[in-house]
Amino acid sequence: MMLAWTIYISFLGALALLLLPKGSATLARSLALLTTIVTFAITLTAFVQHRTGALLTVTQKSWIPSLGIEYHLAADGISLILLLLTGIIAIAGILFSWNIERRVQEFFAFYLLLIGAVYGVFLSYDLFLLFVFYEIVIIPKYFLIAIWGSTRREYGAMKLALYSFIGSAMVLVGLLAAYIVAGAKSMALEDLARFPFPLHFQMWAFPLVFVGFAILAGMWPFHTWAPTGHVAAPTAASMLLAGVVMKLGAYGCLRVAMTLFPLGLGPWGFHVLGLGSWRDVFALLAVIGIVYGALVALVQKDFKFVIGYSSISHMGFILLGLMTLNQLGLAGAVVQMFSHGVLAGLLFAVVGRMVYDRAHTRDLATLGPMNLNKAIPFAAVTFVVAGMASMGLPGFSGFVAELMILIGAWRAFPLFAVCVGIGIVAGVAYIWRAMQQAFFAEAGVEPTSMQPPLPPISIPERLGAILLIGASVAVGLYPQMLLNVILPALHSPLFDGLRKGSWQ
Amino acid sequence: MIPISWYLVLSAALFSIGVGAFLIKRNIISIFMSIELMLNAVNLAFVAFAHHWHQVSGQIFVFFVMVVAAAEAAVGLAIIIAVFRSRETLNVDQINLMKL
Amino acid sequence: MTAVSPALRILPEILLTLTGVLVMVTEPLLSAKTSRKPLGIFALLGTLAAIAASAWQLHLPAGTAFFNTIQTDAFSVFFHLLIGGILLVTLLVSLNYFEGHSTYVGEFYALLLFSAVGMMLMTSAIELLMVFLGLEISSISTYILAGYRKRSAVSAEASIKYFLLGSFATAFFLYGVALCFGATGSTNIHSIATGVASGSSPLLLALALGMMLIGLGFKVSAAPFHVWTPDVYEGAPAPVVGFMSTAPKAAAFAVLLRITYTGFGTMSHIWIPLLWIMAVASMTIGNLGALTQRNVKRMLAYSSIAHAGYLLVAFTAFSADGLAAACFYTAAYAAMNVGAFAIISYLSGYDERRVHLQDYAGLAKRHPLASAAMAIFLLSLIGIPFTAGFFGKFYVFTTAMHSGLWILVTIGLLNSGLAAFYYLRFLSQLYMQPYDAAQDISEAPAQPAFVLGIAILVAAVLVLGIIPNRVLRLAQAGAATYFPCSGTNAAEVHTQPNLLR
Repeated sequence: MMLAWTIYISFLGALALLLLPKGSATLARSLALLTTIVTFAITLTAFVQHRTGALLTVTQKSWIPSLGIEYHLAADGISLILLLLTGIIAIAGILFSWNIERRVQEFFAFYLLLIGAVYGVFLSYDLFLLFVFYEIVIIPKYFLIAIWGSTRREYGAMKLALYSFIGSAMVLVGLLAAYIVAGAKSMALEDLARFPFPLHFQMWAFPLVFVGFAILAGMWPFHTWAPTGHVAAPTAASMLLAGVVMKLGAYGCLRVAMTLFPLGLGPWGFHVLGLGSWRDVFALLAVIGIVYGALVALVQKDFKFVIGYSSISHMGFILLGLMTLNQLGLAGAVVQMFSHGVLAGLLFAVVGRMVYDRAHTRDLATLGPMNLNKAIPFAAVTFVVAGMASMGLPGFSGFVAELMILIGAWRAFPLFAVCVGIGIVAGVAYIWRAMQQAFFAEAGVEPTSMQPPLPPISIPERLGAILLIGASVAVGLYPQMLLNVILPALHSPLFDGLRKGSWQ
Repeated sequence: MIPISWYLVLSAALFSIGVGAFLIKRNIISIFMSIELMLNAVNLAFVAFAHHWHQVSGQIFVFFVMVVAAAEAAVGLAIIIAVFRSRETLNVDQINLMKL
Repeated sequence: MTAVSPALRILPEILLTLTGVLVMVTEPLLSAKTSRKPLGIFALLGTLAAIAASAWQLHLPAGTAFFNTIQTDAFSVFFHLLIGGILLVTLLVSLNYFEGHSTYVGEFYALLLFSAVGMMLMTSAIELLMVFLGLEISSISTYILAGYRKRSAVSAEASIKYFLLGSFATAFFLYGVALCFGATGSTNIHSIATGVASGSSPLLLALALGMMLIGLGFKVSAAPFHVWTPDVYEGAPAPVVGFMSTAPKAAAFAVLLRITYTGFGTMSHIWIPLLWIMAVASMTIGNLGALTQRNVKRMLAYSSIAHAGYLLVAFTAFSADGLAAACFYTAAYAAMNVGAFAIISYLSGYDERRVHLQDYAGLAKRHPLASAAMAIFLLSLIGIPFTAGFFGKFYVFTTAMHSGLWILVTIGLLNSGLAAFYYLRFLSQLYMQPYDAAQDISEAPAQPAFVLGIAILVAAVLVLGIIPNRVLRLAQAGAATYFPCSGTNAAEVHTQPNLLR
């Protein structure tokens, strides 16, 4: 099966970039772009070919037999969608970092290493392997931010790395415990998912693993790495962070925490502050994340912080969707993973690449007088489109995803669904405010002669923006495309535990 | 006949004095001597126990301890000389190029 | 008992001793100006022969020799190979270290060889007298090695501190042995096990065990007996630190395994809590101490305390798997730590010109290969996948979890998350800071021997991380032939046959 080659090609590309002769920046960029296009083509082919969304084993080999660890790659509908997302974001990220001049080869080498590891996580069906790839992601992420970043980059990079390590430590405790309790024979996802873990064990293992992954998904109150990390990161890295790395967390929550420990979602048998289960707790945290992220985004002065906090708000939707535990909500969460990946990537691209690299400031008050909608109209148009998609206007992917999650949430937690409404309204407001202040503040005033004219939007940027907008619109107009593969995946035996539990 | 516990108490006392001197003394030679004192406490305990168990192996152990202590002393004194050459002092409080 | 000549049971030790004596005897016959490299190469050949002899011992039936003082089994062979490997690599990377700085370097090689002999004896000893002799042979040699930069005050200081605290620890260990002898009437580990199992004089035995733990705790630099470590590692020559931070620790851990698992196996309710506390203290103190260090050697010293803590976690598990995990982790730790110190010794040279973190700013530009190797060792120390450190930690924590030590595992994993901070800081110095050309120091080009040594270490780190099966099987074989001796956890051994194939 070709899918395994997404990992190998990315790693080989990274290696090739390091071995290239010095000073061939264009060659390095082209090579990186070629690598990501090839991997994208592979994922797209797989996506088109496997419309059924059933589990598809890619490769399965014994790795460390004495511990029952296998090299097992496979993909179901959910994995396929996220693989596709990774492919799209990877191409767009390279297009938007075409202007990197410093240590180009190393930049793209780290970039491809990150992409390869992300592919690895989405393809792993052995939990040891999944954890291996999950940990590998941390290192290139750290370097991308710490070397090529901007505002307080070392702080942001270190904070991100430490949060990731702590999160993965929690995940590992839970995984090891599950492995031991299940008899220490196998780390395979199916085997562990089938194993009936005792209730009291699931009650502590579930929150541990869930929170461990949710740290990376930006769940409130463990989200603080996200805004600083996003702001510090170079454009391509923030696109990857928001676009795929945060999805790793959400994917882990669904694929590992909820699949292995479905009973952990069940009722405690008592109520604390009206909350009766971990499910209620995490749903509440998700709603707080949605509202909090949106409200904080509303008062930010730094353009990139606005997008950073908006990510937390949108990731809250995913976690809420997971917690609804009904088919609509879960499917919505997966669609939202795709949608937010594309849209956050696009928003960061506009802010980081199109605006910041030209205006050299992200302060909303300073950007206003620059009259950006005249100076770089393409950026303004892109931001308006991306903003509308992000608000959840019909016709874009965000609308489909958030609607599904809202309906799902309405069935599961009517009160929370109402609160989410506040978040949506605030979401409209902060996008509107950012759009107005950054692009249309002094509409009509001619640029003063003091300012040198800003360089025009380049071809790679246009291509990248069109790619991302296209993906969002395609899903928005024809969501069936994703749902066709998600729904069979949700009905696979892997989710039996969840279905038997409190599936509605 | 003197009971074995007397020897053991003496041995424990010697060992404790050795430990105390090791921690209190500031001159390297004195510190070194306190280690020798501890080793001798060990020897005493071994001999007492060997007598108690009617086993010769305890006494053999003592010979080995003595031999090794001699070897250790030879190396230790050489190191002490090296330190004195470079610092011209044997006070441990002044041998503090690296923070402890 | 099969008729295996006793000499064959200590063949590696004999070979190393002969090589060492020959080097020592030849040394004064050479004129002061002659290069000592041939002696080093001769020592290398002797080491290779010893390693081959150890590997050959694997085919011997397990058994004892010399009046029950020596026991060769898969366990001892594992540690023999490990110590031999560390010695080999240390010789390779230090072959040119003293060139032009120090005369009579033959002594250095001889001392390394003798020290390794002592450690090898420790790992196969089942008689505390033999343990003591091995311990002293290795310690006395290492005291001298620590002060080998004779004209440096720092080196002499490191040597004296190591010597005083090391002898102090030995005295504690000996007192423990004496008490143990008093309680059981024997110093043979198997007889002690019988004595302990009979349950007489538990107080004396507990005291004896505590004393021996203190003594060995010093040797493995486990907290709270770690105070000497940073100073000694800072002052001693870097290649020696690489050697003495791994090989004596491996040997002391082997002794600790024999004493606790076999000798005091039935008193595990006493030593498990003690080791638990030592493990937590070592991990926490080591990692917190390393956070504030600006001197790279001190930083790695604290990190080695933390790694001793991870190893103690495996001990505390007290199962066949725990033993295998401890063996595996010792090997993984040896590969990455010797490597890290070897690179430091190369970059900072004989006179230690680069000791502070900022001295390493941007060195990746000037020394891309050395920095890349360093990066691999540091990533392995953090525990990033596909390196020895990751799999070692994974295995250690799995076995600890298996024994129900989930609090310990949680503390350990949080610690290893925290530890990433200072390793990453070192990495970011190498790769991110601008290179200061004013600080340019012209290093001698790397010699082939050094490159070979580093290549072996990098390969070891990667192989142990990606395809650990062979070493794992050897470690598990060591655990399996050895562990049932204690007899207590035999039931557990049988419940997991799949782990012991």
